[in-house]
Amino acid sequence: MTATTLSPSRTTGRAPGRSPAAIAGYAALDLRRQARDRVQMFFVVGLPAFMFVVFGLGSDEPAGSANVAMYVMVSMAAYGAVTATTGVAGSAAIERTNGWGRQLALTPLRPLSFLAMKTGLAMVVAAVPVTLIYAIGAATGASGTTSDWVLSATIVWAGSALFAVYGLAVCLAFRSDNSVGIASGLIVIMAFLGNVFTPMSGLILDIGRFTPLYGYAALARYPLTDGWTPTGTHDPLWLPVANVLAWTMIFAAVALWGLRRGQERV
Amino acid sequence: MSTPDPLPAIRATGLTKSFRLPDGSTVTAVDAVDLTVAPGEIVAFLGPNGAGKTTTVDMLLGLTTPTGGTVEVYGEAPGRAVAAGRVSAVMQTGGLLPDFTVLETVQAIAVLHGRRDRVDEVVERAGLAPLARRLVKACSGGEQQRLKFALALVPDPDLIVLDEPTTGMDVSARQAFWEAMRADAATGRTIVFATHYLVEADEFAARTVLMKDGRIVEDGPTADVRAAFGGRTVSFRPPADVVHRDGVDPEWLARVGQALAPLGVTDVDVSSASLEAAFLALTATDATDVPPPPPTHLDPTALAGAPR
Repeated sequence: MTATTLSPSRTTGRAPGRSPAAIAGYAALDLRRQARDRVQMFFVVGLPAFMFVVFGLGSDEPAGSANVAMYVMVSMAAYGAVTATTGVAGSAAIERTNGWGRQLALTPLRPLSFLAMKTGLAMVVAAVPVTLIYAIGAATGASGTTSDWVLSATIVWAGSALFAVYGLAVCLAFRSDNSVGIASGLIVIMAFLGNVFTPMSGLILDIGRFTPLYGYAALARYPLTDGWTPTGTHDPLWLPVANVLAWTMIFAAVALWGLRRGQERV
Repeated sequence: MSTPDPLPAIRATGLTKSFRLPDGSTVTAVDAVDLTVAPGEIVAFLGPNGAGKTTTVDMLLGLTTPTGGTVEVYGEAPGRAVAAGRVSAVMQTGGLLPDFTVLETVQAIAVLHGRRDRVDEVVERAGLAPLARRLVKACSGGEQQRLKFALALVPDPDLIVLDEPTTGMDVSARQAFWEAMRADAATGRTIVFATHYLVEADEFAARTVLMKDGRIVEDGPTADVRAAFGGRTVSFRPPADVVHRDGVDPEWLARVGQALAPLGVTDVDVSSASLEAAFLALTATDATDVPPPPPTHLDPTALAGAPR
């Protein structure tokens, strides 16, 4: 008996798993799996929405060209978005190192396509808290100019990609099952230092300016505040931009180092 | 494709893999292995842990790059054969995602192979239909192993590589698994499996490759490899009146020894029925009156009726 009795339909040429349809099909299954994770969804959507309601709802005092409700809304949407990208990217790193990556390596899917797919997935999940919290804000009296709304939402959403790199970096560096938890936990601390939850002042603010969430959150609020903080200090535009660029490079370097280290061990 | 495939399923020449340890020394896991497997063959890779079986399998699948020599699968680089779905595997170190269901796991791999049409058949073949909606983390080790087997069947490969495929299965599940594989082999699939259970090689593979310290020390028909070990066992049943609860009557044994000594027989040994046989005899149940097994218990009916 020879192999000729086997399936007549051998695929030749372009492997099916490299087609956009196959990758989209996998992404849909993966998205459904992640959406079922109630704990993750609570931290990504529930907690930031709750905090907006507690801290921001109905605060109509002015904050730059908007009101305080909108200022808090942008901050909490940013917190939800980075929690999403950190979680999705971090668990992607764990999946690759925990054996599922070997399972995927036996399919036509290439590592770069996997990375692109997971990045897309992280951005889709990040859009959920942004959309929801902006919708709650719009319905409950957050107000600002049209460009405030559009620009801040865009920066919150697009900028959260930086924290996908952060999630990858932490999880590739620690490589244990709880490294996603570590990465998300550190986000909470960095959110305090980064002036995301409550207005900081003095020494803490001086230190906070150098932490990863500060630049991103300050940029997202820049359309409203023109750089003024609630405690009356002012940041020139280059400061949050430099912060974001510096941390992008740091996280990317750590992620690359973690990736190489993993390959050496085999 | 109706012409016979002239290419060997596997051709490895001088295949070598060495690793550098953190202290700077190198370890050669696979050492100049030459191996050719023809389409349709069933080959067992036998050897103790650390013999280089898994590293060899990794190179066959393109998961590890050899440090020396070459390996081709159906005349192609392993990575290309994998992408084309010609070779797949049940890996010892392959992992599953705990929060996918059994069915979703199969669907995820099937969609990447562009073979969504195979989902139902593969689930059926691996006996997973009753567990399809169960989360992977709620499955027992043996059930997860069957799921990995299902994933390996998804691309309908010409060559299937199994690395310790029955790990985590109890004795009867293991037998049922090999039953399923035997049915599969009958369709002409080439099967290469690594194991450290001698029995599995003995019962299932026509050819056995014996590995030790990264080298092939024996390669031939399984019966010959078994003979190369040297020992043959002659067994006979003693008369009932000399067998007591605490063993065979030592006086009678001594007389047997004396009687056999002129024939050159030296070591007369007493053994009882194997534990495995005893276990099977004691746990075998009639398949018709067994309730659906709970998820994490020994599952004597696992895979029964799956291979068809």
